[in-house]
Amino acid sequence: MARDKNSEDFAGPIRRLLVGLLVLALVGLFALWRIDSPRVERLRASVVDRIVPSFDWAMAPITGAANLIADFQSYQQLRVQNQELRRELQQMRAWKEAAVQLGQENAKLRDLNNVSLDPQLTYVTGVVITDSGSPFRQSVLVNVGAHDGIVDGWPTMDGLGLVGRIAGVGRNTSRVLLLTDTSSRIPVTIPASGQRAILAGDNTMLPPLEFLEDAGLVRPGDQVVTSGDGGVFPADLLVGQVAQTSDGRLRVRLAADYQRLEFLRVLRSQPHEVIDDPNNLLTPEAEFFGPNILNPASLNTVERSDG
Amino acid sequence: MAERADARTWMQRGLFVALAFLIVVLRLVPLDLRPPQWAAPDLLLAITLVWVARQPRYLPLPVIAILFLSADLLFMRPPGLWTALVVILTETLRHQHRDIRHMSLLGEWGTVAIGIVAVTVVNRLILTVAFAPLAPLGLTVMEMVTTILIYPVVALAAQFLLGISRTAPGEMDARGHRL
Repeated sequence: MARDKNSEDFAGPIRRLLVGLLVLALVGLFALWRIDSPRVERLRASVVDRIVPSFDWAMAPITGAANLIADFQSYQQLRVQNQELRRELQQMRAWKEAAVQLGQENAKLRDLNNVSLDPQLTYVTGVVITDSGSPFRQSVLVNVGAHDGIVDGWPTMDGLGLVGRIAGVGRNTSRVLLLTDTSSRIPVTIPASGQRAILAGDNTMLPPLEFLEDAGLVRPGDQVVTSGDGGVFPADLLVGQVAQTSDGRLRVRLAADYQRLEFLRVLRSQPHEVIDDPNNLLTPEAEFFGPNILNPASLNTVERSDG
Repeated sequence: MAERADARTWMQRGLFVALAFLIVVLRLVPLDLRPPQWAAPDLLLAITLVWVARQPRYLPLPVIAILFLSADLLFMRPPGLWTALVVILTETLRHQHRDIRHMSLLGEWGTVAIGIVAVTVVNRLILTVAFAPLAPLGLTVMEMVTTILIYPVVALAAQFLLGISRTAPGEMDARGHRL
């Protein structure tokens, strides 16, 4: 077909060259991401950190409209909901009574045994800004970041259960990798039987338990908590309950309410051990018993410390 | 591109960017964080293809590249790969847009569908070869199919609501250049 070639879509070889260079640069970025993932992910975190908080004005009306619809739907079931809540409240009163008694008993026993507990975990609360925007990745962005002292790897909970862990920190935002993401692996334990397992996300609502020692000892309904193995997470954070699917696999029904995650608590976990100097791993700074003047480690500070 | 674009073209470009922004924000709003049972169509890809197949001069290449690269970064996709594939696909369609305007909607749909399948397959192939983390196959296929299915809907909506129709043969812009 004969055509005139002077249209802007056919600016010729220069355009083709530029397109080629652009594609090459993009593929190069992908290759770089494959080779040096942490660096590119940091770049991603900083870009997201810069862009996303400025979307706030656009998201507020959408969230508002969605909440309005949800509220409207809940109005229709008001009566049923009310009855359900009453019944639940009745049960909760009984539980509360039991909990108070147990708490008192526990306090007495601790007092008798002189037990020293871990320092209470403190937390930073953040608001969920966005989700991952993709059906394949399960993560959310919260509005606390390095500025608030957030560190990679800290556990994140909603009011009740574990939600995920921090993976990627920007200045004002950080990304929470949810337990349901395919790359999430959390060491858990089932206190009822003392079994340990790995909770492996698989992009479904019920992540499966893997590497269980003896699945026969675990029953549906058992509580699942983090085990603290590997030093990544503090122990004894509630994860959920064991559930058995029709194919006989043991999965976990998560305690956190994934349908409406709005506020998340980022727990200040124990500081990670940072290895600056690999030599110190092999020969840690020797504990020196003797006169301080002879200690090689303090030779250059001996003037100031004055023995 | 030595030619200056007229005011109407600039307005249409602005309209596209606004639409794309709306789609990105809609996907980012955290309404329900349970893993989805089904994958919604990739609307961003759909509108890009509609615009490129019908009015390529409203959608210059840098806009596509910047838009998709930032979407890659925001949506936690491997950065760069999907953008590169979309750039190649849109350039191919841009070259064919004179042929496309002679086709029926069905023919246009078929051409675009082949393109969508091609980029999805190549994307997955490269990710497999590079040992990058892969999305579940079922969801990927579902997203591809729904994107193909949504294409004519988006095309018709763009035509009747926003006036993004195919250029008629011999149509000229404000300066008398043939399109």
